[in-house]
Amino acid sequence: MNQSLKEKLESIFSDIEVTIPEDDRLIITAPKDAVLSILSLLKGKGYEHLALISCVDWIEEKEFELVYILSAYMQKEDEYTDKEKTNITLKTRISRGKPECITVIPVFENAEPYERELHELYGIHFEGHPRLLPLFLEREYKIPPFRKDFDTREYVKEVFDEIPFVEDKVGQK
Amino acid sequence: MRELELYFGPQHLGMVGNFSITLKVEGDRILEATANPGYLHRGFEKLMEYRTWIQNFPMVCRINVIEPDSMEMVYAMAVEKLAKIEVPERANYIRAIVLELARVGSHLFGLWAYANMLGFDTVAQWAMYHRDLVLDLFEELVGGRVYHIYIWPGGVRRDFPEGFKDKIVTTLHAIGGCVPDYDATFFENRLFYERAKGIGKVTREEAKEMGATGQVLRATGMKYDIRKVEPYAAYDKVPWEVPTREDGDAFSRIWIVRDEMIESVHMIFKLLDKMPEGEVYNRIPNPFKWNIPKGEAYVRVESSRGELGLYLVSNGEDKPYRVHFRTPSYPHGLTVLEKALKNASIADVGNTMISLYVVAPEIDR
Amino acid sequence: MQSAKLKINKGSIFNPFKAIRFLFKKPKTLRYPFESKEPALRYRGFHLNDWDKCTGCGNCADICPNEAITMVEIPEIKPKPEEGIKNERPQLDYGRCCFCGLCVDICPPGCLRLSRDYFHIHFDTDTFVFIPKDEKTDEEHFLPEEKYSILQASLAHRKKDNEGFTSDLGYSLFEPERVPMPQVSPEERKLSFIEQVIGYSKEEAKKEASRCLECKLCEEACPAHLKISDYIRAIYEDKSDESLRKIFEDNPIPSICGRVCMKYCEEACSLSIRGEAVAVRWLKRFVADSIEDYKATLELKPAKPTGKQIAVIGAGPGGLSVAYFLRLKGHEVTVFDSLPGGGGMMRIGPPLYRLPLEAIDKDVNYLSSLGVEFKFSTTVGKDIRFEDIQKDYDAVYLGIGTTSSRSTRVKNTDKAVLALPFLSENKIGRQFKVGKEIIVIGGGNVAMDVAREALRLQHMQYPGEKVITKTVSLEDWNELPATEEEIEDGKAEGIQLNPAWGPKEVKLDETGEVKGLLCMKVKSVFDEQGRFSPTFYEEKEMFLEGDMVIEAIGQGADFSFLPENLMKKLEFTERRKVKVDEHGETSIPKVFAGGDIVNLNLDAVTAIADAKVAAEGIDKLLG
Repeated sequence: MNQSLKEKLESIFSDIEVTIPEDDRLIITAPKDAVLSILSLLKGKGYEHLALISCVDWIEEKEFELVYILSAYMQKEDEYTDKEKTNITLKTRISRGKPECITVIPVFENAEPYERELHELYGIHFEGHPRLLPLFLEREYKIPPFRKDFDTREYVKEVFDEIPFVEDKVGQK
Repeated sequence: MRELELYFGPQHLGMVGNFSITLKVEGDRILEATANPGYLHRGFEKLMEYRTWIQNFPMVCRINVIEPDSMEMVYAMAVEKLAKIEVPERANYIRAIVLELARVGSHLFGLWAYANMLGFDTVAQWAMYHRDLVLDLFEELVGGRVYHIYIWPGGVRRDFPEGFKDKIVTTLHAIGGCVPDYDATFFENRLFYERAKGIGKVTREEAKEMGATGQVLRATGMKYDIRKVEPYAAYDKVPWEVPTREDGDAFSRIWIVRDEMIESVHMIFKLLDKMPEGEVYNRIPNPFKWNIPKGEAYVRVESSRGELGLYLVSNGEDKPYRVHFRTPSYPHGLTVLEKALKNASIADVGNTMISLYVVAPEIDR
Repeated sequence: MQSAKLKINKGSIFNPFKAIRFLFKKPKTLRYPFESKEPALRYRGFHLNDWDKCTGCGNCADICPNEAITMVEIPEIKPKPEEGIKNERPQLDYGRCCFCGLCVDICPPGCLRLSRDYFHIHFDTDTFVFIPKDEKTDEEHFLPEEKYSILQASLAHRKKDNEGFTSDLGYSLFEPERVPMPQVSPEERKLSFIEQVIGYSKEEAKKEASRCLECKLCEEACPAHLKISDYIRAIYEDKSDESLRKIFEDNPIPSICGRVCMKYCEEACSLSIRGEAVAVRWLKRFVADSIEDYKATLELKPAKPTGKQIAVIGAGPGGLSVAYFLRLKGHEVTVFDSLPGGGGMMRIGPPLYRLPLEAIDKDVNYLSSLGVEFKFSTTVGKDIRFEDIQKDYDAVYLGIGTTSSRSTRVKNTDKAVLALPFLSENKIGRQFKVGKEIIVIGGGNVAMDVAREALRLQHMQYPGEKVITKTVSLEDWNELPATEEEIEDGKAEGIQLNPAWGPKEVKLDETGEVKGLLCMKVKSVFDEQGRFSPTFYEEKEMFLEGDMVIEAIGQGADFSFLPENLMKKLEFTERRKVKVDEHGETSIPKVFAGGDIVNLNLDAVTAIADAKVAAEGIDKLLG
């Protein structure tokens, strides 16, 4: 089944790579322009569940990799098929220097917080996203904190080493 | 009427956990709800990039304090997949038993939260007491009550202590014996029906559209459960049922919590009966020299709240390159909640939120 | 259970009244502190540390995910590097500790455990930083049941015998068992001089290397302080060349040492406490064997020529090492040795089944490729005068070793054979003609070498016939100086050991041939001061039959090459060792010394350590 999906995808999109590393897993590598159309095609094929949008910072290659993980909801009422077992990983690389990608909210509504999170933690701009506002963080960072060049220990040192101990302030110590 | 902005939480009585919702209200009617997470954002996924594979174990369980075992399980599964480590059969059974015990404990906690929020203090106290009995079991097994650090790559950390099987059975009988009391005071109490029926209603189409899993989805009649869809541990070794309901409201969701607990208890008994003897741990490599080959994995388990996934990337080093948890509360708390609160009344905010079973630390990570 | 088309039970508002009966039940809440719950047997509470067992290896500090553990020096503990004991002990910061117990699962001696105590309330935050002990070494704070009160419970008021989560070898984070070394079976190997140890394959070596926890206790135990954990890590990472480079920083004869080193490192290995030590020696051998061409791999080049000339007398491990270290500094080095090849005692001592000549030549040839000049078959004092060497060279290093075997000097020992000539003839000369029933006197490693070699010769010279080799030693089983490994291997091959018997007389038959050894039972070997001074039960005798007696009771140094005036100047220590200063220089100016004539260890790796000191000393002297 996955094999036929692979062939189908490869026949429609010319510049993508589809691998099946093991049963029930399908990895698609595609250029970022094709993401939206691949996702809507897959959704039409029954892979309606967007489980996760993630991002990997390949700092040495100066690229971000956006990862969309899809699976299928129940196809039948009372029976489990191989289709639900399948996880599809769609990966696309975007430039680290100008991290931009189109939002997938038109296809998957629940992409909204995921994209918002990646915008906050990696500084990726999602074209067409209705509210790219901060989600978790309370302050601004020079470098978005989940990028590989953000060193948590250095940050802690810089920020918190300047704050004196409570004991020092009241002169107990 | 005048439009007001109302801050609900994080210190609101009807709000469990460090989470707040900004409501735009007109009178009692909510026009728009904005989920406001981040009170418990600890950046675990980033911190894990700084620690070795094994050092991350005491860390993953802290992402969800209520049910740490699923977190350990999903991390162990991902590491095992990347490092190609086999797990002994007995360990698979123990894992399933521990995960189901954790589910019971977690559901009791959820029941406490929900009952407490509705003002059913008696039931809440019972649930808390019974959860404590489950924690006693964990203390006996792993030495810690809340953070277990028990399921790890290669199997589990220690075998059952002597007489532990009997203790599980006794404890579960004690809890199970109280089901009629719970039913009488809560589930079959007309007040519960009146307060929960029709609250936070989500249709199946909406649930699918918003990436819902777990009780939220099962309350709309779909038997979607990762334990059945893609069985792990020993879930395919014994027969069991996935409880569902039809209406997609708070009432259905809380009933599913009840039914799931009962199903879990039955499953534990079946697993205990079938559990083989033997090893429970295949030794992992020396932690100071443990490099995991380059690769990536997405694994998922059914936590007590829905699909818990982990996207794990290794760069061939002794530490993970990228960790990203797909927690069930994330879509439930951020997408489903905002939608379900639209046009609801202020009095139902806590009811909706807790019946969606949202755990804030899981969202923030 | 619940079908999908479930009928909804709306319930009744009267249902909850059934719960009224709970009003009359006993509450479940514990009335703390008057009622308290015992923590579980595996409870993960505060740490316990058995200071007597703790080695200070620091693995707990390394694995702690929260950096809650720091190793702190305890001045009152005496470090014993040779036993792998540091004077550091873990200190916990309970502001950081998350009680995960990883430290317990990694602890090699199993001394770090968690207790079932979990109370500590204090106004002073400093009390949360704490060096754990247990009731064995701290009776003040660990109290028996009757003195303990939960109201006072704290880190300084704890219950005795309240152990919780402990280490279990079956679940430890380290691998206690070594990758077995493939060896030729005793039945097969005793028939020839085939090398007994086959050597690790690449996979085996990698697996064995992966066991090392990098606590570096071994590096402190090693006399030459090799960077053991670094070169083992390189093996694990599949970088044999990097590993060899690391070894050559401190040891230029890995092929020799990889076979015959006394492996002080393995004695100190933290894994050896409850399991088997990392096979450091075999791993070194693996590296030396797996690299064909040292020169191409190491790419070491001598520094700019200094024009200084140094003479090294003796091409043993010490002489070779001093030559290597000085050559790298750019000096011209000439090594004199009376043997036809390099290796010194290594060339003649260890039998072929332990150390083949090719292994020695591999190391020696590399040194000679660096530009060290070797003058073999040249006996100083006979072929060349020591005075001339002293005159022609800027400095001299004496690495002459102990080359003359001692005799027991009991009656008729003129009919017995001495160990060194026996070993040396067999290794680099003609084979000795042996008897069918051989008695070896001695209990050390040389005696075992002699006995095992004699057994092989017997099997080769009398194939299929009944042959016996036995040893007699003053020391009893528990004090035999030979390594356990040698004793076990020898016993497996069929050597009969007779410990705690002393030779009284070699018995001869009418024709004057050896017919056996008369022994007497040993009372004690050492006197009260621990000096060697054996006493015997004269009346308890035993006669061992045999047609050949070999004496292997130790060796002495031969200083006959030194002219009388210099010999007078040469100072010795109380234990008859050559006295050297901290740079390895003897009482004769510009004459340095090291190895068996200086140290008491009498082995290759200590000679390398001495050589390192002397090389620095010579380099400093010559500026």
